[in-house]
Amino acid sequence: MTKKTVSRRAFLMGSAALSGAGLVRAANIKTRPWPGNRDDVHCGIIGYGPQGREITATLARVPGAVVSAICDTYAPMLRRAQRDAPDATRHADYREILDNPDIQAVIVATPTHLHRDIVLDALSAGKNVYCEAPMASSIDDAKSIARAARDASSQIFQVGQIYRSNPQHRSVFQFMRSGAIGKPAMARGQWHAKESWRRASPNAERVRELNWRLDPQLSIGLIGEAALLQMDVAYWVLGELPTAVHGFGQIMGWNDGREVPDTIQAIFEFPSGLHMLFDATLVSSYEEAYEVYMGSESTIVFRDRGKAWMFKEVDSLMLGWEVYARKDRFYKETGIALLANATQLDAQNVDPTEDDPNVETPLWYAMQEFMDNHAFGPYPPAANWERGLEAAAIAITANQAIMERTRKEIDPLLYTLD
Amino acid sequence: MQTVRLALNAMATRFELVIHGEDAVLLRAAGEEALSEIKRLDERLSFYNPTSEISHINDNASKYPVQVTPELYSLLKMASDLYDKTEGAFDVTVGPLMRCWGFVRGSGAWPKESAREEALEKTGMDQVLLDEEEYTVAFKQDGMAIDLGAIGKGYAIQEAADLLRECGIISALLHGGTSTMAAIGTPSPGDEGWTIGVIDPLDESNMLTSTTICDEAFSVSAPHGKAFKKGDQIWGHVIDPRVGYPVQGAAVAAVIHSSATVCDAVSTALLAANRTEIDQMAQKFQDIRILCAYSDGNELNFVSNGFNSVNSTILNDEKNG
Repeated sequence: MTKKTVSRRAFLMGSAALSGAGLVRAANIKTRPWPGNRDDVHCGIIGYGPQGREITATLARVPGAVVSAICDTYAPMLRRAQRDAPDATRHADYREILDNPDIQAVIVATPTHLHRDIVLDALSAGKNVYCEAPMASSIDDAKSIARAARDASSQIFQVGQIYRSNPQHRSVFQFMRSGAIGKPAMARGQWHAKESWRRASPNAERVRELNWRLDPQLSIGLIGEAALLQMDVAYWVLGELPTAVHGFGQIMGWNDGREVPDTIQAIFEFPSGLHMLFDATLVSSYEEAYEVYMGSESTIVFRDRGKAWMFKEVDSLMLGWEVYARKDRFYKETGIALLANATQLDAQNVDPTEDDPNVETPLWYAMQEFMDNHAFGPYPPAANWERGLEAAAIAITANQAIMERTRKEIDPLLYTLD
Repeated sequence: MQTVRLALNAMATRFELVIHGEDAVLLRAAGEEALSEIKRLDERLSFYNPTSEISHINDNASKYPVQVTPELYSLLKMASDLYDKTEGAFDVTVGPLMRCWGFVRGSGAWPKESAREEALEKTGMDQVLLDEEEYTVAFKQDGMAIDLGAIGKGYAIQEAADLLRECGIISALLHGGTSTMAAIGTPSPGDEGWTIGVIDPLDESNMLTSTTICDEAFSVSAPHGKAFKKGDQIWGHVIDPRVGYPVQGAAVAAVIHSSATVCDAVSTALLAANRTEIDQMAQKFQDIRILCAYSDGNELNFVSNGFNSVNSTILNDEKNG
């Protein structure tokens, strides 16, 4: 037998962290078994770079998911796959995975500009598809994928805008939409790292392929490849999409002949009048990544991939519960920790001011949602083709503004299908 | 010839990497990939990160078998083999003892005897059930914990060095906190290898010995660092998992082997081993080089196997193998 199967026993035990409602702690497994008689979902991973590996490692711990096949065009990646997923078959051509009737789902984790052909082929082969974000790096590609996903309504199509599935983000989303920050003033986000964004290989052709992020013909730069997930959260929690973007891009640190800026700033204009500044750099890692939403009553900060804190104005109304909430110091400010699931933890005798001991990564929750959809769907996932198309179209336009150092209108037709 | 240096803070220590080669841009790219692998492993293996696989095992493996990645499964299997080969001197389930001796987030304190006995009962890799078919991990009793602190750094360095080789790097040295390192090739063509030294635990200005490594790994362990004093004695943070007390044997142990993972684990195990056990370990691991220094009041005694002669005037007992 070449495929690893998860026994019913391990499966039921492992599904403790799941529930139809989304949030049940693992300790509840025995009292809340998975309803129904669910079969394992056999998955194929297409593209085995760092993200493909991360997804494979995550799926190994998502109940019901079995990685049965892995595709990469570069032999050393397949050797790595053999070690990471010894029971999966390995392929250099993704069509072999699509031809396998036992594979129900494919995860597309290739470079962005290669998504379109693979997703279209996978959908026409009847597979359910999880496509990494950004969904595409050109408007044509994004629309082709969106159209195919829309037309394949009996299949699942989920985009890797993972925070949409994250319980912590969902919890803070509700909190923000209830008006907790008061009258919004502005928003700001950043993604900072100190790295060259280059990849190495002893093979010259491979070096060219690996460095697609630095090819201005293929790449949508930092605003697309680094900032997209954070900006997607902004569109979600603000409940509106930007209508224009001003962009700036510079090469500040990596003077190695590249044309794609290593440092960018983009200011997004929203219909409500709110502006959001996003900056990203490959030159300094200061404060890494976060988003901050400032309002007349309080400011909310997201950081560390899903943690959130509220900083109240001194004259804002008491909310009652904050007396009991955990507070963390940030230099001279005190942040009130916003924890998902606090009431449920309290009911289970777990201190609701502590982080949930069974918390998973945002990618795990996204994969869990994808697997749930196989059992109960198909239904449109939180990160469906529309969210993928919108985020890609805005990022593509913002990247044009950055490359041209100008202001661009974001025409809704860019993310509207005929 | 160009040289690129990179660094990373991870696993509660500082990793440093130096690479020599032709094209600095590509050298740096390869180095970044290697260091990001260490960062990835830190997230997955950390005892302190609540989303790590290790945290999920520690929270749940006494309740039900916890599914893990094949990668972590292989590492735990290796830890289990090392436990067998070192007769239990290397044991990743030493967590309850570390906690009971106050070394998890503090610098240690003498525990109550009942607490120590209870922690010792909850220690032992033989109480961890590894299911190869299902890739699951289960604990035989509640309160057990896996902490990969004595192997994780070596494993991460091993993986990062493999990535460097895949990227075509032929000359590099990577270390974590100067205690575990891997060498690729030699610093310059014609060199014998990368020269490394072992510092005298009694006098940090003195180098006990130096040697060269080429396409090999090296690790050094010592019980000093996190420690507390009781009576006249210093009790350090390395606990002998077989008896439940901080080790009172070697003052420093150094190992050279092709695998950084083996080096990291065996150098820790040597601190708990007696001289007979050291000889046995030297037999069990092929092509291993070992150096142990025992403090006897003001003097150091050495047991060594394959190390250059030890640079100390107080050498009493050297056994070159």
